[in-house]
Amino acid sequence: MGVISTFERPTIRPKGRARWLIHLFPIPALIVYGLFVVYPIISAFLYSLYDWDGIKRGVFVGLKNFVTLFTVEPFNEMFWNAFGHNVYYFIIEMIVQNGIAFGLAFLIYRKIRGSSFLKIAYFMPRLLSVIVIGFLWKLILNPNYGALNTLLTKIGLEEWAKPWLGDPDTALLAIILINCWFGIGFAMLIFLAGLQSIPEELIEAARLDGARGISLLWKIILPLCMPSITIMTIFTFIQAFEAFELVYAMQGSMGEPFRSTDTLAVYFYRLAFSSAGGAGDVSVGLGSALAVVLFFIVASVSALSLYLMRKREVQH
Amino acid sequence: MKQFRFHAAASVVLAAAMALAGCSGGGGTEPAKSGGEPAGNASGGQGGGQQVTLSMHSWRVEDTEGYKQIIKAFEADNPNIKIEFKPFKATEYNTILNTALQSDSGPDILQLRPYAPGVSLAEAGYLEPLDGVAGISSFPKDVLAAATGKDGKVYGVPLSLNSTQFYYNKKIFEENGLKEPKSWDELIATSKALKEKGIVPISFGAKEGWLLSLSHGVIAPASYNSDYLDKLQKGESDLKSPEFLGSVQRMQELIPYFPENYVGLELNDMRTLFATGKAAMFINGSFELEGIKKLNPDLQLDFFPMPTDDGKAVITTWVDGSYAVNSKSKHKQEATKFMEFMATKKFGELFANQFKRISAVPGVTTDDPLVNKMAELSQSSSTPYLMVVHFAEGKPTTKQTLENALQGMYLGKMSPEQVVDEVQKSAATWYPPFKK
Repeated sequence: MGVISTFERPTIRPKGRARWLIHLFPIPALIVYGLFVVYPIISAFLYSLYDWDGIKRGVFVGLKNFVTLFTVEPFNEMFWNAFGHNVYYFIIEMIVQNGIAFGLAFLIYRKIRGSSFLKIAYFMPRLLSVIVIGFLWKLILNPNYGALNTLLTKIGLEEWAKPWLGDPDTALLAIILINCWFGIGFAMLIFLAGLQSIPEELIEAARLDGARGISLLWKIILPLCMPSITIMTIFTFIQAFEAFELVYAMQGSMGEPFRSTDTLAVYFYRLAFSSAGGAGDVSVGLGSALAVVLFFIVASVSALSLYLMRKREVQH
Repeated sequence: MKQFRFHAAASVVLAAAMALAGCSGGGGTEPAKSGGEPAGNASGGQGGGQQVTLSMHSWRVEDTEGYKQIIKAFEADNPNIKIEFKPFKATEYNTILNTALQSDSGPDILQLRPYAPGVSLAEAGYLEPLDGVAGISSFPKDVLAAATGKDGKVYGVPLSLNSTQFYYNKKIFEENGLKEPKSWDELIATSKALKEKGIVPISFGAKEGWLLSLSHGVIAPASYNSDYLDKLQKGESDLKSPEFLGSVQRMQELIPYFPENYVGLELNDMRTLFATGKAAMFINGSFELEGIKKLNPDLQLDFFPMPTDDGKAVITTWVDGSYAVNSKSKHKQEATKFMEFMATKKFGELFANQFKRISAVPGVTTDDPLVNKMAELSQSSSTPYLMVVHFAEGKPTTKQTLENALQGMYLGKMSPEQVVDEVQKSAATWYPPFKK
């Protein structure tokens, strides 16, 4: 990350009386932001404090929705079930997606043959819509005529073929791995940017001091890459805790089968905007309460990890 | 570095904020009381030949062309009324409609979900009572029940009936010398015979929950004794009764006759297996008729009603939807005229032929013998789809609880006893007869 020093900055500041005008420029953006981000947040917070009769707002009930969410069956069960899946989502993404992405970024950074082609190839899945990816993989994973099971049968691993998305033991993992495949290109670019911002002299100096291979990577490159690792960890965390599109595209809003792919965002969707087929249990109050809880989980953990990980970063 | 740090922190907070921003769909205002002014005042006077355009919302995007034809027939008789048909995706319809109603920008005419979810709109004051509409009284009472409020008033003109049944492939049955089963044991024997021949007996999948409660709706009435449903509604019996437990056990008994990997199969897979002749039977609704025929027009398709233990054969039915008038519409009179049209036999016949569906208007026939057979059976020997008609309430609904529990049973995580325990527990939280 380059440091921009003040004297390099071109002077575009208006002089004299026109100076106050500059403060008016952010206003259009602030209005849009206020209308579509700040206002909904505040209203969601307020909704969570009311009792709702279907779509009709009832009386003010204080924190009752939050209490219900955490103490009444089956809401508390579904919450912790979904929460566990989000944590699992985060761990697998950190290990598989970010681990592989860092390895790929490192190979491209070392300028292996065809690295610019590989850079584009790894990024390709990111260009597809999540819905398209969901349907594509649903076809590949179809238990009876999908490509994966056909392949497994052909090469004699018949007993490995399973209904991947219908079996609660594999459904969530399958979705997370598809999400990793989807996200690897983006993570790789972030890591690559981090690697490329390390001054060449530092690496040379380390080499002269005798750092080689793993120890060069571990002791010099990795610490210098910490800013991009920090930001990628936090992105992954937010993404994992707001996981929705892919689960919804592949398994619907019920977290099927048997709630094994339920995440907090899917659970929220189910609570706040009814369920499959339209008929069902709209509960705006509980949904809003869950959204508020989700907001605090994501905001506080992100802020805390930002603070903790910044301490480990090395300035250069 | 400092600047980057601030930006990072800011972007984290903003990204997190997006989670919350997504959730403020439902509006917050209380609906104004309905019926404040006489209807005559609201519309711009009648007979003046003034052109009125009514908006009409529906969740049947796939029916747009057909509705155009039906609306044309209405407009020919009522030249001063134009109707603008606007369908939305079924899964988003409720959200769109609710938001529109809350912000007073709702349509004049709206398609109403059947039973509890639709009736809740009437209870919130968004709908106009339609008891006075000519033709309403010709509908049977249990059909009107789909749009009747707790105050006893009717808020919608029923549109169509759905029925669910065992479809079967006539050709496969004939080739193997099989007949329509007349009892549960015959159904099992038929399935066994098919399996021995290497044909999948029942095209079934457990991945989509709603299909599990739908299939249960077909199979369950076989084990209900004639007075079980009455007792249930009086609170004298419950969902842990031998009848209901028996129905869940039968769902389990059928497992050997399902396709390979059935826990991962979806509706598309099931339909394909059946339409291509790989499976002999398929439990599904009247609404699947078109889809199956489209996939294989040459399929020799038929269906049989469910044989019950007391020697009858029943078809499971429920009202699929009704049409209602927005209580805040500016053109209530004209909208009511359309409601009258929807209650006529002329409309019923147009509808049934256009969509190959069972019209809710009594005595309507079509040019499709299977639809006629379904319509006849749903008049003569129907049984309600219990989970939709009586148990679609609760948070989560008792219907959803059953779906999830059945999924658990098929995955080997729950026993039939645990399934009925869960379902009863859910119903006990809200079902009025159980609360006494």
